[in-house]
Amino acid sequence: MLFFSRSKILMICGAVFIGLLLAIPNVLSESRRESLPGPFQRTINLGLDLQGGAHMLLEVDLSSILSQALINERLAVNDALKNAEDRPRTEFIRVDDGSILVRLRTKEDADKSMPLLQTLVRPIDPSQISSAKTTRIARESDKNIRVTITDENIEYIRKQTIEKSIGVLGRRIDPNGNLELILAPEGDKRILLQVPGAQNIKEIKERINKSANLSFHLVNEKDSTNEQVMRVAMEPPHRVAAGDKYFPFSEANGRGGGLIVKERTRITGDCLKDSSGGPHPENSGAVVNFSFNVACATEFGKMTARNINKRFAVILDGEVITAPNIRSAITGGSGYIEGGFTLESARDLALLLNAGALPAKLTIVEERTVDPSLGADSIRAGKVASGIGLLGVAIFMWLSYGLRFGTIANLALTTNIILIAAALSLFGSTLTLPGIAGIILTIGMAVDANVLIFERIREETYNGKTPINAIQTGYERSMAPILDANITTLIAAITLYFVGSGPVRGFAVTLAIGIVMSVFTAVIFARLLTATWLRGKRPKTLPI
Amino acid sequence: MKDISLVRILPQEPRVPFINVRAIAAVFSVLAIIASIFLFSTRGLNYGIDFTGGTVIEINTNEDPDDEAIRNALIDMGFTGASVQGIQPPVGALDQDGNPITHRLMRIGLQLADESGEEGQGAQQAALERVKTGLEERIGEFYVRNTEVVGSQVSGELRRKGIMSVALALLMVLGYIWFRFEWQFGLGAVFALAHDVILTIGVFSLTQIEFNLTIIAAILTIVGYSLNDTVIVYDRIRENLRKFKKKPLPEVLNIAINDTLSRTILTSVTTLLALIALYILGGSALKGFSFAMIWGVFVGTYSSIFVASPLLLALKLKRGVNTGGERADV
Repeated sequence: MLFFSRSKILMICGAVFIGLLLAIPNVLSESRRESLPGPFQRTINLGLDLQGGAHMLLEVDLSSILSQALINERLAVNDALKNAEDRPRTEFIRVDDGSILVRLRTKEDADKSMPLLQTLVRPIDPSQISSAKTTRIARESDKNIRVTITDENIEYIRKQTIEKSIGVLGRRIDPNGNLELILAPEGDKRILLQVPGAQNIKEIKERINKSANLSFHLVNEKDSTNEQVMRVAMEPPHRVAAGDKYFPFSEANGRGGGLIVKERTRITGDCLKDSSGGPHPENSGAVVNFSFNVACATEFGKMTARNINKRFAVILDGEVITAPNIRSAITGGSGYIEGGFTLESARDLALLLNAGALPAKLTIVEERTVDPSLGADSIRAGKVASGIGLLGVAIFMWLSYGLRFGTIANLALTTNIILIAAALSLFGSTLTLPGIAGIILTIGMAVDANVLIFERIREETYNGKTPINAIQTGYERSMAPILDANITTLIAAITLYFVGSGPVRGFAVTLAIGIVMSVFTAVIFARLLTATWLRGKRPKTLPI
Repeated sequence: MKDISLVRILPQEPRVPFINVRAIAAVFSVLAIIASIFLFSTRGLNYGIDFTGGTVIEINTNEDPDDEAIRNALIDMGFTGASVQGIQPPVGALDQDGNPITHRLMRIGLQLADESGEEGQGAQQAALERVKTGLEERIGEFYVRNTEVVGSQVSGELRRKGIMSVALALLMVLGYIWFRFEWQFGLGAVFALAHDVILTIGVFSLTQIEFNLTIIAAILTIVGYSLNDTVIVYDRIRENLRKFKKKPLPEVLNIAINDTLSRTILTSVTTLLALIALYILGGSALKGFSFAMIWGVFVGTYSSIFVASPLLLALKLKRGVNTGGERADV
């Protein structure tokens, strides 16, 4: 127990020395740090509650995406049956209990429908024919066929929606890519967003809340007479003829009322190649300039050529922002949108349009925003508290075990804290406010292993053992309780890590690191110190 | 150099008859548990927004805030259920411009009756904006230092996770001790831990200190700490069972408790020293946590001496293979 081979001594001292080197950058200035080699530039990663910033949990409205998928599937079923040469006669096609129910007139019609509907069954991943299918067709009875979106496809849609939302959010909130955002899926339907530092939270929230769904629709001029529109506008749910849809004018447009437009369109936000805000070419206002990709430019050219002297409406998130008259065919695939913008609001909209539309509505279900000044206060308070805690424990250890063994325990304790700082820097784990509490708690608890050992040595000395013997037995006999006690605490810390979230996780990490390091420093490092002292002094009695 | 003679706090071989008072301790513990359960079911806990959902903001009004004016302003805006609480800034606190804060800060809590679903969640965010602008109009400028909004769905999940984590930790500990010792030890330790957890919840119900996520972390740490204590006493019991083969069980237990007594007290003192520093200097955010932990150190120490060890007698511990034989060496 008390013999250390040369290589072992080297290893222990080396580990402590490397720990010291890894911990030092935390107290250096930034310019000094940059002159150090790679791994030694790392410092402890501060959590948002310490450096300030916003933490948000966004919930993706998946149910609307899935019901939209069901509506699309219904349309596809409809098309598949109606466009067939030998058309089966249907009773109805409707969304029923999360799937689509098709009732045919006769058994023969149903027999005819089955192969037609089978064309809807496609692999989710088109590059792999063997992969899971999008849809499942089942004959329920003679005349009933049920079309279901498979669970695999729902899962695929879910993943796509989350992935796309994350992409769009990143481009919207941090178009220049210098905010060090964290955007990650959390659970099944949520996205974690973390923005460090002092930020304009209000602006960020506004960008999250806007869907930026843009589309161009032809106005149904026949029905969009003032009288008609007024009638529709007064009576929610704004009932209009099939294939039409009513949209109110946006507030910035400033005229009240709305328009009835044709629902179907191929010109959507996906068509945009680029957009930018700029001054109005003719008056003092501002416009959003846009250009379409090639396919949409052609489509838009055709649409405008066929509808000269009619109007098209530009719809953004369910509001008409403008509805200009088509004077001639627009074939260049670019133009501008006016809609009572200021230069600022035009630029904001262009940014949102460039980032793309959010596939689903997002709701902020949790927000924790900490001002950097509060974070700095917490760090300062944490430093003072750990300093005083450390001092108190150190004095107490000296009083209890005398200068010699007290110093060994306190050296072990100090090394412990240095190693915690080193481990946190090396692993890049995040230090949170509860994490600081974890370190302070470790200061109190870390001496436990040394207390156990010293008490045992004291006991063995009292029982008449020689110094070397007493120390030897003291360390041997203390191993089992030290390991048992620390492993059980470690179990609690690991549980906390896996079940806890956010700052609490930070606490679990520092607690766990503290436990591991305290065993190393008390059982190995302090033992080395004791052994070295024993060899040098060869005392007749123990000062314990 | 001569070593300083050390301060002996305790006699080398104390023989305090802990085990003899086990009946009194049992009555005391059972009464405390009943009281805790009674308090919990009648008064309940003062849950923070982590578990209830709601909105809390902490503001700096640049001078000592007028609680009454803020309360009235909130009522004026229609937030009748709002809570207003002045808090002391942590030691050496500076404001956004780097000036020391010498006055109290203000914590405003809003518990919106939020129906679950989209509207309720949107309402939280909308209310937050209304409070900020409305307050600014009524009491003048202030600076928001901290904003927390927790939706009802999230708070429900956090509650479930909190309960689950404590239960899971207890279960895993039971497994470990069972593996390392006899089953009586495992059960005894878990009973002692449950005792600590219940009493901690009881004291939070009594004092109505806010019960939030960090308190769950504190409870799990108490579990870890108390277990630490219990395992060390158990370890000594196991060792002494081998050493004193002829002595009656209660005496063996008592010797083990006394053998480890000085260590128990020393570690409690050092841990308390660190925690008291945290409690006094750590600012309001860590007050609840350090309070829970300070309580936990006392309860945990008590339970390993007066609950965990006597329970071994009640559970009819035998001198089996694991306790009396060779298995105990690591």
